[in-house]
Amino acid sequence: MSGDERKDWGRSIEIMSRGVSRRDFIITSIAAGVLTMVPRFTGAQAGEPYRIGVLLPTTGSGANYSERPIKILPLVAAQINARGGFLGKHPIELYFRDTQTKPDVGAREARSLILNDKVKTIIGTWSSAVAMAVQEIIHEHKVLHLTATSNSSKIVHENFTPYTFMFGPDTRMQSGATVVAVAKLIKEKGWKKYATIGLDYEWGRDAQKVFVENLKAASPGTELMKELWAKLGETDFTSYITAVMSLKPDFLFGAIAGKDNETFLQQAKAAGLFKSVSYPGVFLPVTELMQQRQTLPRGIIGLNRCPFFAHMDNPIMQNYVKIYQEKFGKDDYPDDFACMYADSLNALDQAVTKASTVETEAIRKALTGATVDTCRGKLPLRDCNNQLDAPSYVGEVVDTPDYPFPIFNPKTMIMVQGHEVWVPTCDEVRRLQKKRT
Amino acid sequence: MPTDIGSLLIQLFSGLSRSMMLFLVASGLSLIFGVMNILNFAHASLWLLGGYLTFSLYQAFCSAFGQHGLLLLPAIVVATLFMFAVGWLIERVLIRRMYARELPEQLLLTFALILIISDLIKLIWGVQNRRIFLPIEPVEALGAYINPYLFVVIGCGFGVAAGLWFFLHRTRYGKIVRAAVHSREMVGALGIRIPTIYAGVFALGVAIAAFSAGVFLPIVPIGLGLDMDLIVQCFAVVVIGGFGSILGTFVASLIVGIVYSFSVLIWPGGALAIIFLILVAVLILRPWGLFGTEMRF
Repeated sequence: MSGDERKDWGRSIEIMSRGVSRRDFIITSIAAGVLTMVPRFTGAQAGEPYRIGVLLPTTGSGANYSERPIKILPLVAAQINARGGFLGKHPIELYFRDTQTKPDVGAREARSLILNDKVKTIIGTWSSAVAMAVQEIIHEHKVLHLTATSNSSKIVHENFTPYTFMFGPDTRMQSGATVVAVAKLIKEKGWKKYATIGLDYEWGRDAQKVFVENLKAASPGTELMKELWAKLGETDFTSYITAVMSLKPDFLFGAIAGKDNETFLQQAKAAGLFKSVSYPGVFLPVTELMQQRQTLPRGIIGLNRCPFFAHMDNPIMQNYVKIYQEKFGKDDYPDDFACMYADSLNALDQAVTKASTVETEAIRKALTGATVDTCRGKLPLRDCNNQLDAPSYVGEVVDTPDYPFPIFNPKTMIMVQGHEVWVPTCDEVRRLQKKRT
Repeated sequence: MPTDIGSLLIQLFSGLSRSMMLFLVASGLSLIFGVMNILNFAHASLWLLGGYLTFSLYQAFCSAFGQHGLLLLPAIVVATLFMFAVGWLIERVLIRRMYARELPEQLLLTFALILIISDLIKLIWGVQNRRIFLPIEPVEALGAYINPYLFVVIGCGFGVAAGLWFFLHRTRYGKIVRAAVHSREMVGALGIRIPTIYAGVFALGVAIAAFSAGVFLPIVPIGLGLDMDLIVQCFAVVVIGGFGSILGTFVASLIVGIVYSFSVLIWPGGALAIIFLILVAVLILRPWGLFGTEMRF
């Protein structure tokens, strides 16, 4: 890579570290293009570039969880491109688009990426509602779709398409993991009644429903007092928090994510919610652990999907942290979403190698049922719904001398494997899946 | 539903706090429309910009003088004054060209402002949420815990309401503003410079928004997209209260905040629907709002 190209690339990454605007998206795409062109001129067997669309929101509730995936994906692509790209001759080009956390915008951008930019794979997105809108488009055009942040179980069940692959635990698996931890606490503490609070949209409803169903099976005597639903993007949870406290449940289950999760936790702590009501299973990805390092109540039981600190013995995770910190500084770490999306791109690379071609159908077949090397170890993709056997992590928030922010207590953290909590059999999965033409 | 008086009172306070949050943002929107007939769709984006500015000023003050929660006060004051100037500039450069234009053109311009402000925020502050950490500890009252900062928000809301009332009813400038609401031509005929009045009112509306963003920062992390959520609620409040009526905005904020708070307790799934049912009822029965006038409508 020439000095100028290196400078262009560095600039784009610097811009991304500050935030991502429409202009930055264009710059990023151009920079990725410039970078990926290098092997084409130097390689002996240069082939067509492999174009990948990245659909993530840089505005709205999901922006917070999209920043680090947007930062890490070009770095992983650059590593693959350093050896010529896929199969050593198809350099990756990334095309970033903002979904604005809106299904119509997500669908429109997906269509534009496929028809105008000729992408062969789409990575994303954050909102499950947007992901399902995107699924309709990718299925129609037979384009691969790799998702991780958006994790409604409907993506791999009711709305299943063989072109979508899920690289994080879905809501069913995640809620199942929470139930494992909560059922243990119910026995220990003698809890009898609980309330739920969730964001009133696809993911929130799904996560809450699965938790309630699973808990009913695991602990039939525990009574659900009330379900509270806040709108996506709620700025003031005070009325919900005081309502929960007046109900006096033994514990509260929350299905709140993104910016809203941060708002809720901050307001709940100031209102004294955690002094009177236990709040196990709150979604606390690394993003939140870093951002809320000052305010996060220590000792609460959190849940996350792909914490780097749980796998620092894995060379792939070590690589993600290394390349990320080289660009963005030692104080910043790749969050759950960055690691899962980095895994999705690496899995695509493995599938292309296995298929020995960049043809979509061959890659899809190679990926279906494959065992892929991820930052969480070697994990199989379930052949009936393309769901990665991804673990969920439940643990107590504690400070350690190793990091400048709290992590989950390494001594007591529970790692619940995906296959322990996903829909037990493929027959049951197929019954849930809709028939597509 | 809980019936103990402590729980109900705390729910009332949380409703009041929500009311005052809405009022602090919506009052500027209502004032601007009332005087200038401009539907400033970008009002909440200017609110957001004020919040980011307060955040940066607070950080700068803490770097210079050491971490202290009280430094939020000068940060809010400076940000409010700065946003007053920004409001003045926007009115002089952009908004004044819209007075003779149709409503859709006003909306287009102010919507463009939303996009510009959003990209400006991304460039300067990035996409991460920003907030100010104050060590607020809950206090125990009436057998339950409550966030003491709610009383700060409620106090600020009532303070701004009283201040606006005093300004509009007890000062010469305020009386001119009120006269301009009824007949800008007559006020102009008296030799009063209407453009200055307009610029002042727009800047005041923006400044109140910036002030409220600073007040909310210790309890509401600000982030991109928050403005769009807020502007919808503010429009609901202003429509219920009556465009241009500060008293109407105040009463509507109280109705919306308190009804919402108790709806969460009684029928959480329908809390938001109830607010919009009220809005629909007002639009059908009294389209000019509870305190608006038919003339303005």
